[in-house]
Amino acid sequence: MSFPRAGKIRCGFLGCFALSISAHAQYEPDASAPVWIRALLDVRVVGAGPAPSWTEHGPGEMRYGGSYTDAGFERATRVVLSQAALVVGVSLPWDLRAQAQVNVQPDIADGYRPWLVEATLRREWGRADNGWSVQGGVTTVPFSLENTGPAWSPNFTISASALNSWLWEDISLAGLEGEWWHVTDAGLRMGALAGAGYGGDQIGRLLALRGWVLGDTMGGVNGTLALPGTLGRTDIFVERDHRPSVYGLLSCADASEIAGLSVGYLDNLGNQNDSGVWRTHFTTVRLTLRLPLRIELLAQYLEGVATVRAPPNDSKLSAYYLLISHHFKQHRVTLRYDAFRVRDTDGGAASTGEHGHAVTASYQVQFGLRQQLAFEYVWMNSHRDTTGALNPTPDGWQLSYRFWY
Amino acid sequence: MPVHLFICRLCLAGAIAVAPVAVLAGAPSLSGIVTSSDGRRIADAVVFVQSPVQTSKGAKPPQMVDQVSKTFVPGLLPVEVGTLVRFPNHDQIHHHVYSFSPAKTFELPLYKGEDAPAVLLDKVGVVKIGCNIHDWMSGIILVLPSAHFAVTDANGRFVLEDLPPGNYVVAAWHAQSKLKPEEAAQSVTLAHEPAHLDFTLPLAPARPRPSVHGVRAER
Repeated sequence: MSFPRAGKIRCGFLGCFALSISAHAQYEPDASAPVWIRALLDVRVVGAGPAPSWTEHGPGEMRYGGSYTDAGFERATRVVLSQAALVVGVSLPWDLRAQAQVNVQPDIADGYRPWLVEATLRREWGRADNGWSVQGGVTTVPFSLENTGPAWSPNFTISASALNSWLWEDISLAGLEGEWWHVTDAGLRMGALAGAGYGGDQIGRLLALRGWVLGDTMGGVNGTLALPGTLGRTDIFVERDHRPSVYGLLSCADASEIAGLSVGYLDNLGNQNDSGVWRTHFTTVRLTLRLPLRIELLAQYLEGVATVRAPPNDSKLSAYYLLISHHFKQHRVTLRYDAFRVRDTDGGAASTGEHGHAVTASYQVQFGLRQQLAFEYVWMNSHRDTTGALNPTPDGWQLSYRFWY
Repeated sequence: MPVHLFICRLCLAGAIAVAPVAVLAGAPSLSGIVTSSDGRRIADAVVFVQSPVQTSKGAKPPQMVDQVSKTFVPGLLPVEVGTLVRFPNHDQIHHHVYSFSPAKTFELPLYKGEDAPAVLLDKVGVVKIGCNIHDWMSGIILVLPSAHFAVTDANGRFVLEDLPPGNYVVAAWHAQSKLKPEEAAQSVTLAHEPAHLDFTLPLAPARPRPSVHGVRAER
């Protein structure tokens, strides 16, 4: 078979062009996209204990509860959309990194209004073993050891511990923080973080009025949370006294991060002369151990005080948990023990007192590249002074399907 | 420096030193310098024999891209086509390594330690790798047609050891180069003496995705 001359030239030219394109693409690295998107979808079947959940102004202390009947409370099983999260990041000039996250949590937000969970601008200098950073925007304090999954979801179980459930639902600050980290020649990894932010004037109110709960609420700057009975809802981000909350975290670990210890502190510096402003401060101690046989051990303790000028709801807060988790290939098994307490320190008609503990057992399996099935059973025994005879000893289970991108 | 990082770097150095081991020991070497258009010496450029293609004899030693402190180590790994590459994760958190590059598309779902299977790189080209959890993690595996290649050091120097005498087309590649390797390629004739060859590559600005370290990266 023969081609006319012009055809041969054209074919040769096209061939060279194709070869050139192919060769160019072959050795050309794709540029990192300046914009990236991540998403998380969490759908569940829940078998809830009899007490209606706090999200429905009930006494239940888990995210999903039973239903009201003429005879009292009744267990309920349902299919729910628990969370849809969208994370958008952008690379900006001068090595700036912008990131924002919005979450839809219909039961918690009492609708499909998206909450702005995070919107930050960050710049780092240095490297992984020695550097520092400045970050500004809206976010929570980085004290949780459990919220390390996609879109800050709990990584080990479906519901976070009472301690970390509260940190993520009730604290949303707009401010600035700086962090320094350094690995010494002796192999000690040290870090110090300090920040200040507005919007924390009612931190602690939730624990005094509602108490501790187990869940996975992602608090947002534009969010409100349900309070018991007829108390309505409380804003997460509240700024009245124009004093910033301050917080810090000191951490140390070995260079390989097999063992780590850190201490965090937050004080909202609330001025109680301003109406409705709470003064809350707490300390948290965190311990992580990565043991042989792919076992992780997490422990965290929190103790603090929340006070308000009126009504008499001053409270001492404390909670801790111990979590042990084994991860092998796509499987993870986790067991956690939680204990939590609120002590009413100034009396009053409605005591804020509460004490309880919970055991959570969880199994997760990942399948495909971006999917996870998780089953969790929570057994809780708690007592709140205000709910008295309504105090359930709730237990409940959840089967969660997560898809992330 | 952590021990595993040191071992990893040692392996890399060994791999780079061993890979060009030639087909004919004791043959002359080709050395030179790679500079940018404005005269700066360029580190992490890869100089390789484009033709004639001379592959390794026998099994190719497997190579490794480690994950340490949420960073791929090394960030650039040249290998000969047909090489197996492992991706151990020595961080205490999970990584999810992937590549969507035409030269190799693969994903290694969330894992730690040595759980992930090795990946066979069977097509010449750039394999850009990333982590689906830590979006700023980025690395490049450059899959080359021949066994003769070298990476420039901090001073832009390279040495291709033990090239048998003959005529070669030698190309230079850099992640930011505006030139295709074949556009930068030069012909060289090697006799029995060491030869010298320099390259100049115009570079585009680097645009790495800003990283996150410290407490905010505990995931």
